[in-house]
Order: sequence, then C-alpha cells, then structure tokens
Amino acid sequence: MADQAGWQRAVEAELRELGRGLDVPPAGSPTAAVRQRLQGPAARRLHPARRGTGILRRWRPAWRAALIVVAVLLTLLVATPQGRAVVAHVLRFAGIELQQEPGPAPSPRSGAALPGERRMSLAEARRHVSFPILVPTALGRPSEVVVSDGGRVASLIYRRTPHGLVRMDEFAGHLDPVFFQKFIHLGDVTQVRVNGLKGLWIKGPHVLLYVTRDGTPAAASARLTTGNTLIWGTPRVALRLEGNLSRTAALAIADSAR
Amino acid sequence: MLVARYTLRAHRAAFLLGAGEESDDVVQEAFVKAFRHLSRFRAGEPFAPWLLRIVANETRNLTRSRRRRTALALRLSAAEPAATAADGPADEVLAAERRTQLVAAVNALPDRERRVLVCRYFLDLSEAETAQVLEWPVGSVKSRTFRALNRLRGLLVAGQQGGVSRG
Repeated sequence: MADQAGWQRAVEAELRELGRGLDVPPAGSPTAAVRQRLQGPAARRLHPARRGTGILRRWRPAWRAALIVVAVLLTLLVATPQGRAVVAHVLRFAGIELQQEPGPAPSPRSGAALPGERRMSLAEARRHVSFPILVPTALGRPSEVVVSDGGRVASLIYRRTPHGLVRMDEFAGHLDPVFFQKFIHLGDVTQVRVNGLKGLWIKGPHVLLYVTRDGTPAAASARLTTGNTLIWGTPRVALRLEGNLSRTAALAIADSAR
Repeated sequence: MLVARYTLRAHRAAFLLGAGEESDDVVQEAFVKAFRHLSRFRAGEPFAPWLLRIVANETRNLTRSRRRRTALALRLSAAEPAATAADGPADEVLAAERRTQLVAAVNALPDRERRVLVCRYFLDLSEAETAQVLEWPVGSVKSRTFRALNRLRGLLVAGQQGGVSRG
C-alpha cells in the first residue's frame, strides 16, 4: 500500500507536468461580443451624447450593463487575493474613479470646494441640473443645497443629524465617465446592496478629488473625506453619501433616498 | 477588463473539458451567463471556480448535444519543450513516449474520471474547487480521482507490458 501512495504521488506530479504540455489553441477575445450581448440593441450608439432625459432612457440598459461589469470587477478585486495584487489599475464605479495609491495632498484650505459652488433652494437646484435629485427621507430636508460646476453636481448638506455633518453628492454618473477620484486602499472597500442595486462601502477617510467635464482633476477640490462613504448608482443618478455613519445607518439613509 | 483577465483560464478549461474548437463560443456564453446571474454570486467567494462551473456546464451541454465525445481527445502540444528530467536524447525519447502514453491513458478514461483529472491536475484546482466546478460532493471528487488514478495505472501497466520499458 505504501507503494500505492508513492505511485499515486508520482503520477499526480506527472499529470501536472503533462497539463503544461497539452495542446490548447489560442483563445479568442470575447470581450466585445460579451459586452454587446449584455447591452442588447439599445447599446448601439455612436457618440456619448451630453444630456437629456430621452437619451437617458434609451441608455439605461447600457448603463446597467456597464454597472454590472464594473461591479463584478470590483467584487473580484475586493474579494480575491490575486485581484488585490492587480489593482494598480483604475476602477470606475458610478462616475467615481477609484485608485489604490496615496493621491494628491489635500488642499491646505479647510473647506476645499467644488468649482463654481452655488447655494440655492432644493426647488431651484432641481431646475439647474439634468438629473433627478434624490432626497433621503431618513434625513429630511437638507440644511443646504449646493449646485456646482454649472449644474454638474448637486450636494445636499445636513449639518445637524444624529451622526453629525452628512453630505450627499449627486451627479449623472452614467453620462460622463468621471466626476470624482478617490484614492483608497482596497481593503477598505466592500460591496453592498442599496435598494437592490450594487454599491460600494468605503471605510475611513480618503482623499477625494473632483474631476471637471474635460477630465482634468480640480486640484483645489482635493480634500480628506470624513467618516465613511457609500457610493451607489440608480439608473438615472449616481450618489455618494459621506459622514460619520455606521454602515447600517448609511444603508438606511441610502435606502430612503427618493 | 474582467473578461480579458479570465478568458485564458476559462478557455483552457473549456478546451480541456472537451469543447474543442467551440471553446471560444463556450467562453462567451459563460461570461454572458455569469454577468446575467451575478446576483447569485456571493461577494467574498472566489470568482474563478464560480465562472469555471458555468464553463464546465456549458461544455457539458455542448458535448452532450453533439455526442462527439470521441472527437475531443487531448493532445500534446507539438511545441512541447523537452522534459525537465531529460539528460540526453535517449531520456528525451523515453520521456516523450511516457507522456504520449499518459495522454492516451487519460483519453481512454471514462468521462467522469477524465473530467476530475482535468480539473485537479490540468487546471490545478483544489478538491473543493473541483467539487464546485463539477457540482459534485467533495467525497465524489476524492473517490473518482482515486479511481481514475488507479485505472490510469492499470492502463499504463498494460501499455508497458505491450513493450515500452520505463526505468
């Protein structure tokens, strides 16, 4: 029987080596075909259009598929050790680019701002932006509503909540590719579900940078976030929620966004 | 990106499990299904075995529907480098013969036993991963691997008695 075990180990090793010498033809590249099949006929478009609800509606399947692809990628990157090793690349999720590197130094000025910030009422803000502004009923009326960069981002600021200062940024994350860059450590990122949609929960402060319409990072906007952050997207708007919130509290607030 | 990263592994699995020249189609189908059924994927679980399970299923559907099991014998690569243990031309010839025999023996195994060997040794999956990919209990993976190796031994011994010597 000892001989049997020895033989078995030997043939196992031999099989492993044999595996390396087996003839496997080169693989094709299924990426384009897979993307096309996931997006369906609605995805046949030539150029990214700028804004408009009609376009938005037609874009939904594509946007959803893109989200799904990104979400899987993130699951992988977050979940697997080999994934973590490969993360020199940039991840994009709901208009936010995640990079695993230190990032620029936060702006020395406290209160680093987005470009062209304008305070206005919620009703006014809704007229200034092309996407629906969702308000979390769990927090009620915001203390302040700020629209930045010519209507590209709307921010709801809550000064007095049981969790302290809470901020919610909203933008059309499916139209333009990047609104914010976050410099994170992947170990701090976990995947969550918000109203049945994928989201990311980022634990702890990280450097956040606003990226303008032409793709340039706005250096003056660099700041260290407070508390924890939740990012997620609905078919029509992408959101990030920031504050000293527990994961449960953040998810409850996010779930209440209408 | 994701697709690109897993294509090679998925394609290798499809091919070695018997999809033959339809391996690319199997891989494409598997990715589409994987994305569509993403909700069944639990975060934190390794992705590769999950994807390979879909690949294995697709391959199985294909080979069943075509009843072309015999056409998908594994082959040694023509460009296979000389065996590492070979010290001289004579050893190389012997090693090459041995490998040819081994491939023939693997090809001669019953379907389930061959599949388990492909997963364990050609795709380098653990017993648990193999169980997941083939959708068998771990116990079956163990017993079928054991049976396959024994049968392989029988086939090789028979081959040696057929005149090929091995030191």
